[in-house]
Amino acid sequence: MNDDFVTAGVNLQFHYAAGAAASRFLCALRDEQKIFGARCPECRRVLAPARSFCPRCFVETNEWLEVGPGGTLSAFVAPPFAQLLEPALTLALIRLDGADTAFVHRLGEFDAPMLRRGLRVAPVFAASRQGHILDLAYFKPVEFDNAHSI
Amino acid sequence: MTELLKISHTMHLEWRYGVGASFHEFIAALRARAQILGRRCPGCQRVYLPPRPVCGNCYVELRDWVEVRDTGTVRAFTIVHTPIIDPTTGARRPSPYTMALIQLDGADTTLNHYLEASDPTKLRIGMRVRAVWRAQRMGLLGDISHFTELTDE
Amino acid sequence: MRRAAIIGTGQTKHAKAHDDMNQAELVRQAATRALSDAGITFREVDAVVLANMELFEGRALPEMWVGAGAGGYLKPAIKIATGGTSGTSAAIAGYHQCASGLFDIVLVVGWEKHSEGATQTGMAMVDPLWDRNVASGAVGNFALSISQYVAERGVTPAQAAKVAVKARRNAAKNPYAHLQIPDLTVEQVLRSPMLADPVHRLDMCPQSDGACALVYAAQGVAEKLCAQPAWVRAAVTRHDQPYIGDLDRRLVTMRTLRDAARAAYHQVGIVEPRKQIDVAEIYEPVSYAELAWYEALGFCAEGKAGELIDEGVTEMNGELPVNPSGGVLSSNPVGASGVLRVAEAAMQVMGRAGAHQIADARVALATGYGVYAWSDVMILSADT
Ligand SMILES: [Zn+2]
Repeated sequence: MNDDFVTAGVNLQFHYAAGAAASRFLCALRDEQKIFGARCPECRRVLAPARSFCPRCFVETNEWLEVGPGGTLSAFVAPPFAQLLEPALTLALIRLDGADTAFVHRLGEFDAPMLRRGLRVAPVFAASRQGHILDLAYFKPVEFDNAHSI
Repeated sequence: MTELLKISHTMHLEWRYGVGASFHEFIAALRARAQILGRRCPGCQRVYLPPRPVCGNCYVELRDWVEVRDTGTVRAFTIVHTPIIDPTTGARRPSPYTMALIQLDGADTTLNHYLEASDPTKLRIGMRVRAVWRAQRMGLLGDISHFTELTDE
Repeated sequence: MRRAAIIGTGQTKHAKAHDDMNQAELVRQAATRALSDAGITFREVDAVVLANMELFEGRALPEMWVGAGAGGYLKPAIKIATGGTSGTSAAIAGYHQCASGLFDIVLVVGWEKHSEGATQTGMAMVDPLWDRNVASGAVGNFALSISQYVAERGVTPAQAAKVAVKARRNAAKNPYAHLQIPDLTVEQVLRSPMLADPVHRLDMCPQSDGACALVYAAQGVAEKLCAQPAWVRAAVTRHDQPYIGDLDRRLVTMRTLRDAARAAYHQVGIVEPRKQIDVAEIYEPVSYAELAWYEALGFCAEGKAGELIDEGVTEMNGELPVNPSGGVLSSNPVGASGVLRVAEAAMQVMGRAGAHQIADARVALATGYGVYAWSDVMILSADT
């Protein structure tokens, strides 16, 4: 405290309802280690993660389908601030196989020089899962993933 | 029926607010001399606490500093029984406690502050009170710990 | 300015918690119902106005994430947060957008999910230099001003409790209301725990999860889409000085509401509000406030608010029914509460209020109350 500034903090807790659709998506991550998308009946896009309505068409999605697990890296960034975190954080937009939207998540188990757009990636699930987006711990690069080798 | 999940987040944030020229003077006087400074409007003659650069009624600039006393008159009060969470600490504030709007002698606005009375049944609008100062002053409104009844007037 | 009218309204059930819907889904439910009531789809909406006190949910940019729930995709969308008046501010902003000629059809949606955050704490996060040091939340803050009102006007706890009883009894006729207690008694209100003298728990509004939406259409469009639109005849806002100690005897003088009402009445030609207004939906977060607002709105002479409630003038079957919906005392999702006042007033004028419809309601008043003393007043009419 000096004469020119007042500092003030907040220390608060929030508990956000995921809603029925996101709850179902997160339970599938937790219990089945599966990633679900939902198809919009109007624009036919598969939105992943699955959600209750299409933000473009304003209609309820009516078809749930499994997407991935493999996907293609469409963008990535390692922000300097995120390198101070433990573990360091690299964010990615991933087009999961069968999805029409990009899935925002983290990358792991990679060497920086190997990152490029178009890289194939696969999910790594956390050992202990609780119905949270980080039940899917991160995506890692793969040479030949199941989605393509089958 | 799907299991319905909740996602929890804890928010810890700190802000640093510039106080501006009026508050700067106020804080300095409060900390150095336990002196409470208000500002008088040259238009409506009201003395404002907290001091500010402009009168909201007249929209003219305030320049004149006025010393306000640390004694005053209760204009409103309530005994709060419901505990609130202190936003700065996240801790529950002990209750009950008494809040009052106090018009300090020399001011035209009232000051929202804690009031402690030996006998809560004696609380009334119009009662005379005085500030109880903390030993260590930081230059904050909280340098006044609370107000108490003024008996020796 | 051209005329504009409300042609559709929609709301969610207001409840302690809506765990089955996230915020965007809650908003979408209200918006979908309003669009359906108006007989249009989201594609015909030209612009979206949102109302929410984002601090309560601790989440920045709700217009981005939650705006999707209002069909905001590729449309002009803004969010308004002005405390308790958020909803009426948004309703007035939507009206301005439509009446100004900018847009023909505007959707307004307000919402709050108090179950997700820390409302009292959010209320305490006022000015960090001054009031925050001694903040005591909405209840303590209100009770301070109530102590002055009671001392000067002599209203009794039983008279205030009658307001609380009326609200919950009316709410029992409103399927969307949160607190529906048809057989509540004055004694039960007075026996409920004391929150802050003289305010008992049942004198105070609940904290609700809920959303409310309304659709404006401009003159020329409204008549084509709606047999009986609710025309906006006046929309007035008044703000006050920034610190609680600046407001001289807030509930006694209530100069923002008094001044806004006077200006609105003047625009519409109302000289005897009690006779010329058929129904009012006013923003009363606490029972005592409704009594103070009776005076500020000119429903009775100064000091006569207690008599007004005693005589039943503001009951459902009285001369001027106040809050047939159950009001804020029965449902308070803050960002939605002001939209609810306007929507409920519109429903009365449109004849769509169901079991809480006031017969032959032609002129309806809606008010908003926010922060320490900000006020909004809107007057809706069945006539252009
Ligand atoms: Zn679509």
